[in-house]
Amino acid sequence: MTEQIDKVLEREYEAGFVSDIESETFDPGLNEDVIRRISAMKEEPEWMLDWRLKAFAAWQEMVEPEWAHVDYQKIDYQAISYYSAPKSMADKPKSLDEVDPELLRTYEKLGIPLIEQQMLAGVAVDAVFDSVSVVTTFRDKLEEAGVIFCPISEAIKKYPELVKKYLSTVVPMKDNFFATLNCAVFTDGSFVYIPKGTRCPMELSTYFRINEQNTGQFERTLIIADEGSHVSYLEGCTAPQRDENQLHAAVVELVVLDGAEVKYSTVQNWYPGDENGKGGIYNFVTKRAVCHTDAKVSWTQVETGSAVTWKYPSCILKGDNSIGEFYSVALMRGAQQADTGTKMIHIGKNTRSTIISKGISAGRSNNSYRGLVRMNPGAEGARNFTQCDSLLIGDKCGAHTFPYVESKNPTAIVEHEATTSKVSDDQMFLCQQRGLDPEKAVSMIVNGFCKEVFKELPMEFAVEAGKLLEISLEGSVG
Amino acid sequence: MSNWLESAVTRAETVSDWLSPKREASLALLREAKVPTRKTEAWKYTPVRAIDQVTVSTEVSASVQVESIDDLNSVDLVFINGEFDAAQSSSELPAGLTVSRLVDADDSARAWALSAFSNIKPDRHLFGLVNDVLATDGALIDVAEGVEIEQPIRIVSLLTQGAEAHTRVLVRLAERSKVAIVEQFLGNEASYNTGFAEYDVAAEAELEHYRFATQVNEALSIGGSHFNLGEKAQLNSTLIGFGSKLSRVDVDVTHAGSHAFAKMNVIYLLDGKELFDLHSTVEHAVPHGTTEENVRGIVADHAKVVFNGRIHIHRNAQKTLAELNNRNLLMSRTAEINTKPELEIYADDVRCAHGATIAELDKKALYYMQSRGLSRSQAQVMLNFGFINELVEQMPNQVLAEWLRPQLKARFAQMEVG
Repeated sequence: MTEQIDKVLEREYEAGFVSDIESETFDPGLNEDVIRRISAMKEEPEWMLDWRLKAFAAWQEMVEPEWAHVDYQKIDYQAISYYSAPKSMADKPKSLDEVDPELLRTYEKLGIPLIEQQMLAGVAVDAVFDSVSVVTTFRDKLEEAGVIFCPISEAIKKYPELVKKYLSTVVPMKDNFFATLNCAVFTDGSFVYIPKGTRCPMELSTYFRINEQNTGQFERTLIIADEGSHVSYLEGCTAPQRDENQLHAAVVELVVLDGAEVKYSTVQNWYPGDENGKGGIYNFVTKRAVCHTDAKVSWTQVETGSAVTWKYPSCILKGDNSIGEFYSVALMRGAQQADTGTKMIHIGKNTRSTIISKGISAGRSNNSYRGLVRMNPGAEGARNFTQCDSLLIGDKCGAHTFPYVESKNPTAIVEHEATTSKVSDDQMFLCQQRGLDPEKAVSMIVNGFCKEVFKELPMEFAVEAGKLLEISLEGSVG
Repeated sequence: MSNWLESAVTRAETVSDWLSPKREASLALLREAKVPTRKTEAWKYTPVRAIDQVTVSTEVSASVQVESIDDLNSVDLVFINGEFDAAQSSSELPAGLTVSRLVDADDSARAWALSAFSNIKPDRHLFGLVNDVLATDGALIDVAEGVEIEQPIRIVSLLTQGAEAHTRVLVRLAERSKVAIVEQFLGNEASYNTGFAEYDVAAEAELEHYRFATQVNEALSIGGSHFNLGEKAQLNSTLIGFGSKLSRVDVDVTHAGSHAFAKMNVIYLLDGKELFDLHSTVEHAVPHGTTEENVRGIVADHAKVVFNGRIHIHRNAQKTLAELNNRNLLMSRTAEINTKPELEIYADDVRCAHGATIAELDKKALYYMQSRGLSRSQAQVMLNFGFINELVEQMPNQVLAEWLRPQLKARFAQMEVG
């Protein structure tokens, strides 16, 4: 069985093509000058440059974290280019018609139809290609509703007060090694502001793609949901197939004010490297939300890509009655490694959190859930439920669970449970007996295993996630 | 380097005996060792600074009487402040049981001890290393093949005011043998001890094990029980922990032979400003092993409990069944529970699960009992006792269970008042 799994798991990475786009890329290396140049390219105000330099100084004093259950070659931060922009961006497109057709074709290949299909789907997209934001669709319609959805580089110039007020309030500048690096060198990302009492008229979406060789992608997303507002935000990512590892160190901050609700969904399909673990993206991401009174945040993630994933979307449940949710499917195969999970920090009264994590390991991969649930002394009547399930396919992979549970309030209730199982022979037999081929059977069993998470995804994403899983699992049993 | 660590190294350099070949490697590690801090994963929630504050006096009174356990009919080995007390220890041993002291072991016992010392858990933490280099007395217990020892063996380590002691116990159960061993730690005055026991349980042997880590107040106690299970070996272990200023126990079980069975029940009850830290690790290195681990605790007042329960299923350990369950009752707003059940799994055909809960007593149950005329505190003691008694009932030795119950009840009453 294992041999067959291995054989079929050698499937091609479908988003692994390289787009032939002329681009402007900095020479590899990192120093103050590079940061000044990034800042200058982005025509940033003085305060932003100072902020970046401060972060860079702090980062140089920091050490790379080693506590995660992953093993990868040390990153040479001087061998990475910290800025790459498609050349046609030099004279920025005013509308979609002016965007390099090759670039649009790239997105089409990836299945992000910027124009028509988006109309049908009603999704507004901000696409980030290497280091810069290429285009944001549906801006007028969003503006009508008062929603700001634009590249963060633009927001820094146009809405400096909002950016200044909220940037790095959720993920502090010195939070961790990769987040601090991101502060110093981030090049673009999305900025969203939903005004008071507004329900965002459509789902917002960002698409990230790393195209250039030897580049890193450091995007920064800041979403502010003002009182009583609501937004659903989708994020997708791909990269071409390359032999060397590329670093992706993003920071996502969500500020969810009183009574607001943010739903943040990710389908992460960065290039995972080849079967022997050569190449692939290092996905070292810091995502965190602050929930004020009665606010709600829901993180949903489907992780199928990246050579190494290090990611813990977290909720700080600061306000009373706030809610945090984390739904995750991580499917690792080949030599992929993931150390992912969440942190739920209960500060306010009657705060509630739910964690559902499904890890699937195949091939020689390692999949770890690492989570923290903390009930602070003030978390009166707080409630947490955590469930971590692992599914192992084959006997060369690993599935691990490292949950930290801390409680300082007797009225808070914390429950954690974890199980491990495999696709059982009985299940396979039953499905095959009913006429399904083994491949379909596995896909069905895995889909069932992940159902609790998939049902949290917006429709289009749920379909995409299901497909992604199917492709990844293709023929994983015989 | 902290004072106590420096002093441990200095003293260790003067120790010279037949165990020296084994001690040297540990001493080398100890010289390089750093005092654990919040950033040291294994000591994240447990500060060790209390060790620097304890005043160890060179003159300690050694004339104390150890209470016996009625009806247990045990073979007693008594250590007062780390030194063997022949007068209080049993002089007659049942057939098939050999016991020698570290200091006067004969050649064959020495040969065995030299090969077994620190073998079961080679990866030792700081205090394990301290014990390696400073343990000057302890017991070597050997149970002969096929022999069933009916009398439980009770190893008592009692500490008096100002004492420091490092004791080591090595136990070997030969094939198909059977024995019950009780490790009991006593003395609540300011003192500091490390006490480690290593059990090598050969094929088809059965070990019934108890560790009563019930020192409270000022007594600093760090130790562990490490088990190596051969094919079809069975372990049934019960650990009772009351916290003190610093109380830490490491329980490690290695399934080295297939079809071994390990059952571990743990109860911790904490009050005042006590701290209790339990780290348990189960290594399934071979197929068809079974582990059942039940950990329950009640934490009141300003107390803090730390539990880290790790189950590691190696690549080869197919068909393993392993379950860990940790349930906690948090009684007070100033108390704290930190729990971390860990699974590390590299084999696919296994059934593993763990669960952890933290909550307070069921309000409905309390209301029900109060409506039947019980006072709130009576109701709480009753419910707490019920929660714990499920595990006490599972103790294979009912004499010990009977002896334990009043102590637990007294503890509940005290927790209630505090």
